[in-house]
Amino acid sequence: MIITRLEFLNRTRLDQHTLDIWIEEEWLVPERADSELAFSEADIARAQLISDLIAEMGVNSEGVGVILHLLDQVHGLRSAMAHLLDSARDQTKATTEES
Amino acid sequence: MKDPYETLGVQRDASPDDIRKAYRRLAKKLHPDLNPGNKDSEERFKDASLANELLSDPDKRKRFDAGEIDAMGTEKPRERYYKDYAAEAPASNSYNNRSGYADFGDTDDLFAELFRQQARQSRKAPGADLRYRLSVDFLDAVNGASKRITLPDGGSLDVSIPAGIQEGQTLRLRGKGASLAGEGIAGDALVEISITPHRFFTRVGDDIHLELPITLAEAVLGARVKTPTSNGSVMLAIPKGSNTGAVLRLKGKGVARRGGHGDELITLKVILPLQANAELEAFLSTWKPGPSYDPRQELQS
Repeated sequence: MIITRLEFLNRTRLDQHTLDIWIEEEWLVPERADSELAFSEADIARAQLISDLIAEMGVNSEGVGVILHLLDQVHGLRSAMAHLLDSARDQTKATTEES
Repeated sequence: MKDPYETLGVQRDASPDDIRKAYRRLAKKLHPDLNPGNKDSEERFKDASLANELLSDPDKRKRFDAGEIDAMGTEKPRERYYKDYAAEAPASNSYNNRSGYADFGDTDDLFAELFRQQARQSRKAPGADLRYRLSVDFLDAVNGASKRITLPDGGSLDVSIPAGIQEGQTLRLRGKGASLAGEGIAGDALVEISITPHRFFTRVGDDIHLELPITLAEAVLGARVKTPTSNGSVMLAIPKGSNTGAVLRLKGKGVARRGGHGDELITLKVILPLQANAELEAFLSTWKPGPSYDPRQELQS
């Protein structure tokens, strides 16, 4: 499901200028389809997170970049961990099936 | 609903600034996106958000203090956070960052291989596993067979049933699941096996049980009797004087298992002629078996 720029602004209640800055800072990295920006539901949730950081937690714009960078690493680690546990589980299952 | 003052940990006469500070402190600690693995913090964050919504609005706060409204929130709580999307499809998420463990990949060990696999797969996300159920005849399950499943989309799936498969066992066909938009690694097909019962064989572990009816003469005099097994008939030698309930064993005629086969266990059952037989009656009325023939000896007290 592709979300257009206009729809994205409506749903996140962001203004055009703020969105441009966030994209420039690479806090948001929407895909490009036919020179148009194409957003996903994940982008919307990420924008809400950025709004929460700024409005509710008083994080300044330097801090937002640092937090997002660390958070992306956390999710990278979480998926690697999940994958590792899956492999270990498959391995255990294969061993019990054989014996 | 908990008391919003208590939720935020402020006094009832707290200033708006105190409330804002208290909420911020909780939000920083409890925001679900900052605690991606913690369900509990998500609940507590919801409570804190509702409390803040109520107490940060001077009008709502006044009405709450006066008892006009209760602490139920009006704003719809957010259903999904960014963390849910990041966890859902880690491979397709362009924000995911591997620098948190990139250095593990340098070491030449098991973990390095696992992480390399993960890196490879995340470029092309594997599709979902698809589940099927396949009903297999008793004898096909014992002897092994090749089956074809017709899929809802008109395609088909060849399943090779290994000899000795058990009820409820699942076969994993690598790469036969769904693939994403024609590219990427396909998921697996998981085929759960159910075995239909047989007319006269039953399976107990690796052994096959059979109840074999025999005539009175075969029981008394002994005989060679044609007996079905899971792979054709054999001539079974019934020893002289075999009674109902006697169990004979055909070694290796059971279900395949690691390093051999189970056995077929045959329980004999003597069947009298179905119609009255005058000759048999005449013989038995003159027959004197002697005092040692007492089948109910054990029942006497």
